Amino acid sequence: MVPISDRRAPDLLTVIVKRLLASVLTAWAAVSFTFLTLRIAAGDPVASLLSRGLASPSDVARLRGQLGLDQPLIHQYWDFLSGFVRGDLGHSLYSNRPVLDIILEQLPATLSLALLALAFTVILAALMGIGAAWWNQRLAGRIAELLSGTAIAFPVIFVATIALWLVRASHVTIGITTRAGLLTLLMPALVLAFSTAGGIAWTLQAGLLESMRAPYFLAARARGVGKRSLLWHALKPALPPVVSLFALEAAFLFTGTVVTETIFARPGLGRLLVQSVLEGDYPVAQGLVALAAVVYTLSNGAADIAAALLDPRIRRQS
Amino acid sequence: MIRRLLALLWIAVLLLLAFYAPLLTEYSETEPSGTPLSPPSPQHPLGTDHLGRDLFTRLLFGVRISLSMALAAGGISIAIGGLLGMVSALAPVLLDDVLTWLGDVLLSIPGLLLAMLLVAGLGTGITTVILAAGIGAVPGFMRVSRTLFMQLGEEEYVEAARAIGAAPIRIAVRHLLPNAIPRVTVLSVTQMAWAFVNTTTLSFLGFAGDPSVAEWGAMLNQGRGFMMDAPRLVLLPGFAITFTILALHTLGASSVQRRFDE
Repeated sequence: MVPISDRRAPDLLTVIVKRLLASVLTAWAAVSFTFLTLRIAAGDPVASLLSRGLASPSDVARLRGQLGLDQPLIHQYWDFLSGFVRGDLGHSLYSNRPVLDIILEQLPATLSLALLALAFTVILAALMGIGAAWWNQRLAGRIAELLSGTAIAFPVIFVATIALWLVRASHVTIGITTRAGLLTLLMPALVLAFSTAGGIAWTLQAGLLESMRAPYFLAARARGVGKRSLLWHALKPALPPVVSLFALEAAFLFTGTVVTETIFARPGLGRLLVQSVLEGDYPVAQGLVALAAVVYTLSNGAADIAAALLDPRIRRQS
Repeated sequence: MIRRLLALLWIAVLLLLAFYAPLLTEYSETEPSGTPLSPPSPQHPLGTDHLGRDLFTRLLFGVRISLSMALAAGGISIAIGGLLGMVSALAPVLLDDVLTWLGDVLLSIPGLLLAMLLVAGLGTGITTVILAAGIGAVPGFMRVSRTLFMQLGEEEYVEAARAIGAAPIRIAVRHLLPNAIPRVTVLSVTQMAWAFVNTTTLSFLGFAGDPSVAEWGAMLNQGRGFMMDAPRLVLLPGFAITFTILALHTLGASSVQRRFDE
């Protein structure tokens, strides 16, 4: 076997194409799995409507025929998959509107929340992670560490509730309009970012501390390299795992929107999912989860490519 | 060390409270026993909730319900995920590849979403929440336990057993399992912390069905409507959840830390 370091690094294009193909395959499997889970778990996805008294037996029988649930499973699967590729995710059991339309309608609200949260996450994670490592064992470092520890321990459901309470309790100091703005976008995004940033900050801190102990770092310090450039020396090898973790946390960001949207009574995909699950509106729930899986798989693939761009060593392994 | 002790203490107190819950209170956790939202008093040490139920009693029975839900959900993910991980690590390369790929596919659906999908199919209820949170966490634990068994499989005593011609099953049962148990226990504690986060979140979102159930997540959710008048309805279950997560993470992480230090 050729040692890894002696192998020629494959060119970037090959790595990217390979990774993309793998992502598409995984996305297909995840979408299929979404379909199968619901059928296996529920047997009959509309039966729970009957048991919950949301529909009469004759309604259920009619629905079943309408949705093609009396067809063989493989037939249903083909309909679902070919529909999914064409962007047809079926219709809501309640409003009878196309699921894709319902999702697209709610998408901007969630997207703006998630993007703002992502930006805040980067800032918070960098502040807490770099602060904790750079001022290690000093007061500022300890505060940063305490903050990221708090972010990890406190569940989103509690952080969001407390944040809402703070906003409501502070009505004396801020005007009505600012409060509305705070409530609808800024606060939920901050809550989400705080909860997401904890784990990333810890990884960043661990990576930084490790590279700050490395001989090359000591050498750079001995050469009299300036502080800012010194930080970059320590930061560069610590970044790839942080980038990978970011993609993993994207999943958390999505589940986080479920909670924050519910608590802050903000429209969006997360709240749509909770509502459709509570109502047993399975086409909406199925479409949302399948789409989330696709987005998540592709973002993971993108993160792997980004990690390969940052670190040639990773390119050789794939 | 102090953190570890505090964490142990918290878990021990919770277990005691869960065990002796009916002896420590005279009220029912589901029936009203006073005027709604009454402040703490000698009769109701922590006051009552919005329906006049004794808050102390509800928190007390909440220990039982919340902990056993997390235990059941964590147990499901540890049993199934652990077994699949072990099989995957010991199986021929092809089967290992297939299992690993399937695990990756499952990991591409965030656990909480997978759980919500199951609730959509099965309907709401405590059993559903347990099943959903448990199954949603299987792929994660499968990956961790596969790595663990891979590492163990490289130990010299395993190689020695293989050299004298021991069958794979015998290696797995006699050599790997006994050595895996301490490490699996450590991983399980962390897994329990995640299971606890997920079951309380799912109940918080209202998927446990019956709103009168004294589960901490559900209590936090119901208390939200009254947090301006009675913050304790939110703060007490919230901190109970947080401290439990913190304790479980501390126990799991500090054991891992010790393993690295040795």
